[in-house]
Amino acid sequence: MALTITCPICGKRNGYEFRYGGEDKGPRPDEAGLTPEDWCDYAHMNNCVAGVQKEWWCHRDGCGSWFTICRDTTTNLEVAEPAASAEAEAK
Amino acid sequence: MFSKKKRLLGDNPPLKSTYDAVIIGGGLHGLATAYFLATRHGMTNVAVIEKRFIGFGAAGRNTAIVRANQRTQENLPLYKEALDLWPVLTKELDFNLMFYNCGNLNLAHSEAAVKAMRLQVASAQFHGIESHLVDPQQCKELVPALDITDKPRYPIYGGMYHPPGGIVRHDAVVWGLAKGAAKRGVHIHQGTAVTGINVENGKVASVDTDKGKIHTSRVLNAAGGYSAALSYDFLGIRLPISVLTIQAMVTQPLKPLLHHVVSSGMYHCYANQTLKGEIATGAHMDAWPNYTTQNTAHYIKHQAEALTEFLPCLKGIKFMRCWAGLADMTPDMAPIMDGNDQVEGYYMDCGWGYFGFKSSTVTGKYMAEFMATGEYPEILKPFTLRRFKEHRLMGETAALVSYSADN
Ligand SMILES: Cc1cc2nc3c(=O)[nH]c(=O)nc-3n(C[C@H](O)[C@H](O)[C@H](O)COP(=O)(O)OP(=O)(O)OC[C@H]3O[C@@H](n4cnc5c(N)ncnc54)[C@H](O)[C@@H]3O)c2cc1C
Ligand SMILES: [Zn+2]
Repeated sequence: MALTITCPICGKRNGYEFRYGGEDKGPRPDEAGLTPEDWCDYAHMNNCVAGVQKEWWCHRDGCGSWFTICRDTTTNLEVAEPAASAEAEAK
Repeated sequence: MFSKKKRLLGDNPPLKSTYDAVIIGGGLHGLATAYFLATRHGMTNVAVIEKRFIGFGAAGRNTAIVRANQRTQENLPLYKEALDLWPVLTKELDFNLMFYNCGNLNLAHSEAAVKAMRLQVASAQFHGIESHLVDPQQCKELVPALDITDKPRYPIYGGMYHPPGGIVRHDAVVWGLAKGAAKRGVHIHQGTAVTGINVENGKVASVDTDKGKIHTSRVLNAAGGYSAALSYDFLGIRLPISVLTIQAMVTQPLKPLLHHVVSSGMYHCYANQTLKGEIATGAHMDAWPNYTTQNTAHYIKHQAEALTEFLPCLKGIKFMRCWAGLADMTPDMAPIMDGNDQVEGYYMDCGWGYFGFKSSTVTGKYMAEFMATGEYPEILKPFTLRRFKEHRLMGETAALVSYSADN
């Protein structure tokens, strides 16, 4: 399936313009008191969701900005953030 | 006409409520482990649980290349033993695995690549594995169709020739191992999915499937592309894995022109000619994780361009079929073979990426030993999951240039 990604600046573009930046794992851990295990968790460990996950992308061949989107890894389709879509359904 | 049943290995035996070991995944790694548990350790009360049918995963989708010229001291002995096993298993299984040791030629497209190969060749030779550095002229002698002029975008500077490697028929290995294991009493449950692992007092107690619960104290996660997702879903154990779709394709049949497996890290392309005459080629992985197993026009075009750069005689030839499978990639391009650590009785054999066919049988042998005795075999120890926490990543990546278009 053709991958398209929506850049917050340039809009919806061909997925090959972008660079994948990993699962969204929250903010980078504080360096004070950081253990090697915690760093490994942040740097290497993944949930590998077969379904919708929140992830980082960079518009490499475009404006260069980094941003997050939600994508279904079983279809390659960008989707609305799950909580937001549940809210929309409720309305 | 082509009923779904045709793909199944016999009828499912009834699912028992207790097994001595449960293996998740009827791929090569799961089946090989089951086979060796039964034949080498007398453990026959074993179930292989396969969601679809045996060989549905990467086991039946790979391009069947085997070789033993890896880079690191930890990987080399394992792959050497794996390569030596094919003729032994062909006899033992009484199944023609079609081992075709036509040799592998890996191309270098820069001085730096030649130097890296010099180290890789020396490391292989140190372990008694036949591997030589060859110059462009020798590359041409091995594969006359190669363009060794300075016309291609990345001219050929030399190569690494590894005569004992080649191709093995992957479906034959799947069926040979499955039949061998089933004959000794192993239950292979196809069309059955594992849906959970239950732990009591830090030990594996049972496994849930969509056909019922199984009591067992040992479970092996050999679910290939799904191994990391299952590990997290069932036990909350996260793995350093990214799952990428990898694409492959074959051309129309041609008269014999390519007598070795040829690969190029620079072009991110490998090719060999099957006994039917088709050029089987692949190597491209999507640069983002996904479970689609879909081919993309983008990569088919890319593959055609790369292939015809160093084999220009293939210009105008048509691709006949294409397919894709999943590759569970680790950051150091080495697998995770571990067990009995965070959860007693939970074993893992995953992170094989796009190189887990050639090693499947030897891994099964050692994982079976591990599961039967509870003792971690020496040869597997470097592949512990703990290496990531201890920041001891292996240097296998260096041998492969890059695994995704972006890395
Ligand atoms: C296109 C391609 C080309 C490749 N080329 C090569 C090559 O040339 N040489 C090489 O050495 N390697 C190659 N590989 C890699 C190799 O194929 C894999 O590393 C290897 O097959 C992995 O075997 P496995 O048994 O771990 O996984 P798989 O064969 O993927 O088996 C896993 C099985 O688990 C099942 N499963 C998943 N979830 C569940 C569940 N919940 N319950 C029950 N069952 C489940 C799946 O249906 C699947 O059958 C290639 C891979 C691909 C995709
Ligand atoms: Zn942009």
